[in-house]
Amino acid sequence: MALTPGGPIVNALVGVSEARRAALTSAGQAIPPLVQIRGLIDTGASCTCVDPSVITALSLPPTGSVSMLTPSTGATPHATAQYDAALIIPPSQAGQLPLVFQTIPIVGSDLKAQGIDALLGRDILSRCVLLYNGGPGLGLFTLAF
Amino acid sequence: MALEQELATYAAKLPELKDQEGKFVLIHGSDVVDFFSSYEDAIKIGYDKFKLEPFLVKQIQTIEQVQFISRSVDPCVTRHAS
Repeated sequence: MALTPGGPIVNALVGVSEARRAALTSAGQAIPPLVQIRGLIDTGASCTCVDPSVITALSLPPTGSVSMLTPSTGATPHATAQYDAALIIPPSQAGQLPLVFQTIPIVGSDLKAQGIDALLGRDILSRCVLLYNGGPGLGLFTLAF
Repeated sequence: MALEQELATYAAKLPELKDQEGKFVLIHGSDVVDFFSSYEDAIKIGYDKFKLEPFLVKQIQTIEQVQFISRSVDPCVTRHAS
């Protein structure tokens, strides 16, 4: 895939986790539709983050809490709500299988202003091989799974 | 604040949970429900038992590991970690 000016971005889908889907169905509640996102592959992120608009669209309640450090938090870790969700990365070529995470923990971070909806962190990359060829022009990258 | 009671339960019980280091604990209110080897299993049982009520799944770490984001983003903060 071609690198964008913003880096290696993939289209992905975020939804409720498999277990939450079953609980919603059992309660007779509607399953929120999958949310399409622009996810920046980020080897500097230890976990996957999504913009709060995605969390709101899926009506996700927090089911965890983690401490986070970012350049904006300074030296003091900030407690950040964690949510269980599903994430799907479609294949880049027809006939191949998608990469599916039925249940992963995600956190919220304001990302819309940066033109992305998510940072795909090393938790996702642990299931992939990332090749980054930043040659002349925009370059190419491959996310194999 | 969401999960405030559950997080308080985790903090209070942490000294007793040291022998379960690395496992994922499921907490509902003031109750430590069970321990699991995987996040997925803990989440599944959380929804099985408590349906759409609040519950907490947290990996037991006597020294909590911090998640790092090297990009300049503002995390959705619940409170400053102690």
